Amino acid sequence: MSVQQPSTVEPLAALPAQTGAAPLPEWTALGPVLALVAAGLLLLLWDTVFPNRRTNTELSVIAAVGSLAALALSGWYLAAGTGRPATGGAITLFAEAITIDGLALFFTAIVASVTTLVVVASRDYLTDHETPGEFYSLVVLAAAGMALLASASSLATIFVALEMVSLPSYALVAYLKENRGSVEAGLKYFLVGAVSSAIFVFGISLVYAATGSLLLSDVAAAFGDLGDLAGVAGVGVVMMIAGFAFKTASVPVHFWAPEVYEGAPAPVSAFLSSASKAAGFAVAFRVFTEAFHLGGEVTAVGIDWALVFAVLAVVTMTLGNFAAAVQTEVKRMLAYSSIGHAGYALIGLAAISAGGSHNGAVMGASMAHLFVYGFMNTGAFLFIAMVERWGVGRTFEDYAGLGTVAPMASVAMTVFMFSLAGLPPFGGFFSKYFLFAGAVFNGFWWLAAVGALNSVLSLYYYSRVVKAIWIEDPTDALAAVDSRPTALYGAVIVAAVATVVVLPGFGPVIETAEAAATALFG
Amino acid sequence: MVDAFAYVPAIVALPFVSFLVALAFGKYLPKGGAFGGIAATAGSFLLSLWVLATVAAGGQHVETLYTWVSTDGIAGGIGPQEIELTFGVLIDPLSALMLVIVTLIAMLVHVFSLGYMNDEGEPDLPRYYAGLGLFTASMLGFVVADNLLMAFMFFELVGLCSYLLIGFHFREPGPPSAAKKAFLVTRFGDYFFLVGVVAVFATFGTASFAGSESFPVLAEHALAGEFDAWTPFGLEAGTWFTAVGLLVLGGAIGKSAQFPLHTWLPDAMEGPTPVSALIHAATMVAAGVYLVARMYGFYVLTPTTMAIIAFVGGFTALFAATMGLVKDELKQVLAYSTISQYGYMMLALGAGGYVAAVFHLMTHAFFKALLFLGAGAVIIAMHHEENMWEMGGLKEKLPVTYWTFLAGSLALAGIFPFAGFWSKDEILYEALVHGLNEPLLLGAWAMGLLAVPVTAFYTFRMVFLTFHGEPRTDVARDPHPVRWNVKGPLTVLGVLAVVAGTVNMVPVQKVLGIEGIDLLHLWLDGHYGGFSELTSHHYAELGPYSSGYIAGGEVPTVLIGAGVSLALALGGLGLAWKLYNVAEPAEHTAALGGVKTVLYNNYYQDELQVRLAGVTAGVASAADTFDQGVIDGVVNGVSSVSLVSGDRIRRVQTGVVTHYAALLTLGVTGLILVLGVLGGWFL
Amino acid sequence: MVAPEYYLLLAAAVFCIGLFGVLTRREALYFLMSVELMLNAANINFVAFSAYYGDLTGQVFSLFVIALAAAEVAIGIGIILVLYRNFGVTDVTVPRGMRW
Repeated sequence: MSVQQPSTVEPLAALPAQTGAAPLPEWTALGPVLALVAAGLLLLLWDTVFPNRRTNTELSVIAAVGSLAALALSGWYLAAGTGRPATGGAITLFAEAITIDGLALFFTAIVASVTTLVVVASRDYLTDHETPGEFYSLVVLAAAGMALLASASSLATIFVALEMVSLPSYALVAYLKENRGSVEAGLKYFLVGAVSSAIFVFGISLVYAATGSLLLSDVAAAFGDLGDLAGVAGVGVVMMIAGFAFKTASVPVHFWAPEVYEGAPAPVSAFLSSASKAAGFAVAFRVFTEAFHLGGEVTAVGIDWALVFAVLAVVTMTLGNFAAAVQTEVKRMLAYSSIGHAGYALIGLAAISAGGSHNGAVMGASMAHLFVYGFMNTGAFLFIAMVERWGVGRTFEDYAGLGTVAPMASVAMTVFMFSLAGLPPFGGFFSKYFLFAGAVFNGFWWLAAVGALNSVLSLYYYSRVVKAIWIEDPTDALAAVDSRPTALYGAVIVAAVATVVVLPGFGPVIETAEAAATALFG
Repeated sequence: MVDAFAYVPAIVALPFVSFLVALAFGKYLPKGGAFGGIAATAGSFLLSLWVLATVAAGGQHVETLYTWVSTDGIAGGIGPQEIELTFGVLIDPLSALMLVIVTLIAMLVHVFSLGYMNDEGEPDLPRYYAGLGLFTASMLGFVVADNLLMAFMFFELVGLCSYLLIGFHFREPGPPSAAKKAFLVTRFGDYFFLVGVVAVFATFGTASFAGSESFPVLAEHALAGEFDAWTPFGLEAGTWFTAVGLLVLGGAIGKSAQFPLHTWLPDAMEGPTPVSALIHAATMVAAGVYLVARMYGFYVLTPTTMAIIAFVGGFTALFAATMGLVKDELKQVLAYSTISQYGYMMLALGAGGYVAAVFHLMTHAFFKALLFLGAGAVIIAMHHEENMWEMGGLKEKLPVTYWTFLAGSLALAGIFPFAGFWSKDEILYEALVHGLNEPLLLGAWAMGLLAVPVTAFYTFRMVFLTFHGEPRTDVARDPHPVRWNVKGPLTVLGVLAVVAGTVNMVPVQKVLGIEGIDLLHLWLDGHYGGFSELTSHHYAELGPYSSGYIAGGEVPTVLIGAGVSLALALGGLGLAWKLYNVAEPAEHTAALGGVKTVLYNNYYQDELQVRLAGVTAGVASAADTFDQGVIDGVVNGVSSVSLVSGDRIRRVQTGVVTHYAALLTLGVTGLILVLGVLGGWFL
Repeated sequence: MVAPEYYLLLAAAVFCIGLFGVLTRREALYFLMSVELMLNAANINFVAFSAYYGDLTGQVFSLFVIALAAAEVAIGIGIILVLYRNFGVTDVTVPRGMRW
C-alpha cells in the first residue's frame, strides 16, 4: 500500500528460510494466517450452503482444523527456524508491511492453540443456538487478525489488523442477543474500543506527522532526530500506549475488561482474555523495540518508555489483584485476575534497560508467560463455560462441592487455579519464575518484588475457588449437573494437560521465546 | 558392593508411592492404607540407616539426577553464567542424619496413627494416610536436595501438605482456618525465600549446596576477591550477601515459626495430634532450621545475618516460653514449647554453634515427637478432651504413657542426664563463649538462659496437672485404655529421649579429657565421610566469632555454664512442683495475673510467690496480648487493608460506560501531562 | 502553503471536540458520531502531513481509516439495535447490570 520506496532490504532477509532441499516460496511464511482466513471463509461458505443445520459439529470441526493447521504450520516454522537469524533473518513481505520472525510465529502459535480450544469447546456451548455459523467464522477471522497483528511491521498494517481483531470481537461479545449481560458487555466493549481505537489512530497520525513514515524501521530511524516535533511524537506514542493498553486490558484502559469478560459467553471471554491479550502484547513488543527504541538509548523524545511501562505494570497488577480479591463471582474474579496477569506480562516491557544484558530474557519470559497463560486461563474460562452450560450459579458459593459431581474437570480447574497463582510445579510457576528472575537480573528487582507480593495476594482468591470446589459441601444446585459435554470436557482436559506438560517441556518454550525476543533487540 | 547411594531416590519415592496407593486404593485396603504407609516409611528408614552406615564408612555423594532447564545455547540466557536447573541428591553427614531422624519419626507416627485414627474410628482414613505419605516424601526430598531451587520446591510442597493435614477435619470450623493461616503465614516467608533463590542464581549462577562450584564456596571466594559475583546497584559483595541471606532466612523463619511469623503454629494444633508430632518434630518446622544448617557456609560469611539469626532465635526462645506459661490445653503448651525450642536452634546457628544446633534438632525431634505422641495418648484416654484442668491423676491409669512422657519432659526441661540437657547446654555454651566478645550475642544468650527456668516450669506444670494429683473429672477417673500401637512408639522414643544425649557428651570430654566421645562433632566434622567445604571446622574458620572464657579457662566455663542452666532448670521444676504437684492444684498464674486482690492465699503461696506469679503472669499475658493483638493485628490488618482497598478499587467500576470513557481520558491525559513535563515536550 | 502546525492544531481541536462529545453524550448514535470526529481528526493529520512530506502513504492510509470507521459503525449500529431490543433505550448509560 505504500508508494514509498522500501528502505534497503537486506539481501539475506529475502531468502526463504526453510530447512531442507527446496526452499518454499516466501509467501508461505504467511501460511498460518492464510490457513485461518481460509477456514473462516470456508465456514461462511458452509453456513451459506447448509443454512438450517441443527448441529454445529461440522462447523466446529472446520474451525478446529483451520486453527490446528495454523498451529502446525507455525510450530513447524518455529522448529525449522523460519525468519530467525540462523536461517537468514526475518522474512518481510509487501514492502516491509509484514514481517515474519520468531516473535510473529510464537504468538501465532499461542493464538492458534487458544482458538483451537475455544472452537472445540464451543461445539457444546452453542448447542441449540440458531446461528452458530457466524460465531465460528467470527472467531476464526478474529484469530487471523491476531496472527496478522503479531506479524505487522507497519503502523498501517498494525491498525488494520487491530481492527480486524476488534470488530469481530465486539460482535462475539454481544453474540447472545437475548441475554442482557452479553448485550451490555458488547456495548461497553464496543464503545470503549471505539474510543481507544480513535485515540490509537490519532497517536499513529501524530507519529506519522513527526516522522513521515508508517514503517517501523523508518520511524525508528526518524526518531533519532525529530527536531521540533519531538513533543508531537511523544504525545503520539502515549496515545498508542493507550491503544495497546486497550487490547491487553492494562491500566489505564482496562475498565471494559471486568464487564466484558463477565458478560460475554465464556468461550469468548477465554478467547479475548488469552489470545487477544497475547496479540496485543505481540504488537506492543514489536512496536516499542523496533520503532521506539525500547532497550536502546533514550531518544529525542526524552522519555525512557520502560519506566512508563514499569509504572503501568505495577498499577495494573496491583489493581487487578486487589479487585479480584473482593469479588463474589468466579467469572468476574477471573476477569480481574486477567488484568493482574496483564500487569505481570507488562514486566516484559518494563524491565528493559538500555544495554541491559537480559533484555531478551525478560521479554522472552513475558512471552513464555503469555504462552502458559493462554492455556491455563483459557482452561479456567472454559470450565466456567461448562458450569454456565449446566446452569449452576456464578458465585463462589454456587461452586461448592463441584468436585463431587465433576471430578475430572474439577481437578483440571484446580490445576488452572494453582498455576495461575504461580504455585510449583505447574506451568504458571515456571513462567512467572523466569519473568521475575529476568527482571531481577536486569536490575529491576523492585518490579519482581511487587510481582511476588501480588502473587501472594492472588493465591488467596484462587484458592477460594479450589476450596469451594473440593472442601465445601455440595448444595442442591448441583442437581443441575446432568450432562457430560464431551467436547467442552475434552478442551478443558487438554488445557490442563498442557498446563502440566509445560513442566518438562518448558525448556523449548522459553528458549524459543528468548531467542525470538533477543532477535528484536539485536 | 551394592552402592547405598543408588537407593537414595528410593527413600523419597517409597512414601510417595504409599501416598499414591492410599489415594487410589485406600478405600479397599485394610486400615485405610496404614500398613502401606508403615511399610514404606520402614523401608525408607532401613535404607536411611544403610546410607548412614555408608557415610560412616567414609562415603559422601552428590549427583544430578535430572536437568529440566538448561540455558545452554540461548542467546543472552538468564543469569551471569549459563544456568542449569536440576534435581539432584546430596548425601553428607548432615543429610544422612536427618534422613534417619525423619524416616524414624514418620514410621512411628504412622504406627501411632493406627491407635489414634483407626481405633478411634475417624473417617476419611485414606486421605489421611495419603497426606502423611506425601508429607514425609516431600520432607525427605527437601532433606536430600542438592540445590536451593529444588529445596525450595520441596519446601513449598511441605507447606502444601501441612495445609492439607492441618485442615484434615475440614468440616469443623477451626481446622480449615488454622490450615489457611499456616499456609498463608509460611508462604509469606516463602516469597522472600523465592526472591532469595532468584537472587542466589543471579549472583552466583548456581544454587548447588556442595562442590567447589557451589554458591557458599563462590561467596567465600567473592569475599576474598577471587570471584566476581554480580551485585545490584554496585553494592558491596558482603552487603548484598547479607541481603540475600536474609531473604532466604524469611522462608526459614516462616517454616520454623520464629518471631514474628510464629503465629500459625499454635493454631496448627487443630490438626490431628500425630500430624502435630510429625510437623513439630521432624518435618515442617524442622525444615527451616535444616535449611539454615544446609547453607550454613553462606551464612557464616555475613556477621550481620548471624547476629540477626541469633537474636531472633534467642528472643523467640524466651518469648514463646513465657506464653507457654498460661496455656490450659496440653497441645497448646507443647506448641509454644516447640516455637521456643526452635528458637534455641536458631540461637545456636546464629552463635556459630553449628553442631549444637544439629544436635538439638536431633534430640528435640525425639523428645518432641515423644511428647506429642504422649499427648495424643492422653487425648485418646480422655476422649478427646485437651484441657489440662479436666485431667489429673492419670499416672496410675496410664503408666507407660506417664513414664515416657516424663522422660520427654525431663529432656525438654533440660535436666541432666536426659537428651535435652546435653544439646541445650551446648547451645548455651557456644552462645556464651562466642558472646563474651560480642555484646549482641551475649544478649541473645541471656534470653536463652532466662528461657531455661521458664521452660522447666511450664513443662512440669503440664506434667503435674495432667498426671499427678487427684483426677478432676469423671473421664480422668476412668480413662480409655491405649493399645500396643500407641505404647510401642512411645517406648522407642522414650528410650531415645533418655539416651540420645550420649552421642555428643562434649562437656564430659572437656572436663574429664576423655577423647572421642563427642561423636556428633566428629560426625559433622567429616571424620567419617563428607565434603570438606561442609564440615563444622570449615564453618568455624569462616565464622565471625572468637571464643572467650570466664573464670579463667575452658573447663570452668563449661562447668559454670552447665551448672547455672541446670540449676535454673531445677529451680523452674521445683517451683512447678511446689505449685502444681498437689492433690488439687489451682490456676495460680491465670488467676493471679490481672487480679489485684489476692483471694487465693490459702493455697501454697507466700507473698513472694504471689508477686512472682503475678509478674510472670503479667509478662506472659503481655506477650500473649502482643501476640494476639499486634502480630495477628498486623497480619489481619494487612489482609483487611488489601480487601478494603480492593473494595475501593472496584467501586471505581461503576458500570456506566461513560464514566469509563472519562476515566480513560483522564488516565491518558495524565500520562501525557506527566511524561510531557518529564520529557520537555511542551517547551 | 499553510504551516503544518496549524493542521496539528486543527486536528487536535477536532479530536477534542469528538472526545467532549464522547464524554457528554449519552445517546448511542451521538457517541458514534463523536468517535467519527476523533477518527477524522487523525485523517486531517494524515492528509496534511502526506502533502507536507510529499509522500502518499498518509493519504492512502486515511482511506483505510475511513473504510474501517464505516465497518465500525456497521457493527456499532448492530449492537445498538440489540441494546434497544433488550433495554428499550439507546442511552449508553442505562445498561449497568454489571459493576464493581
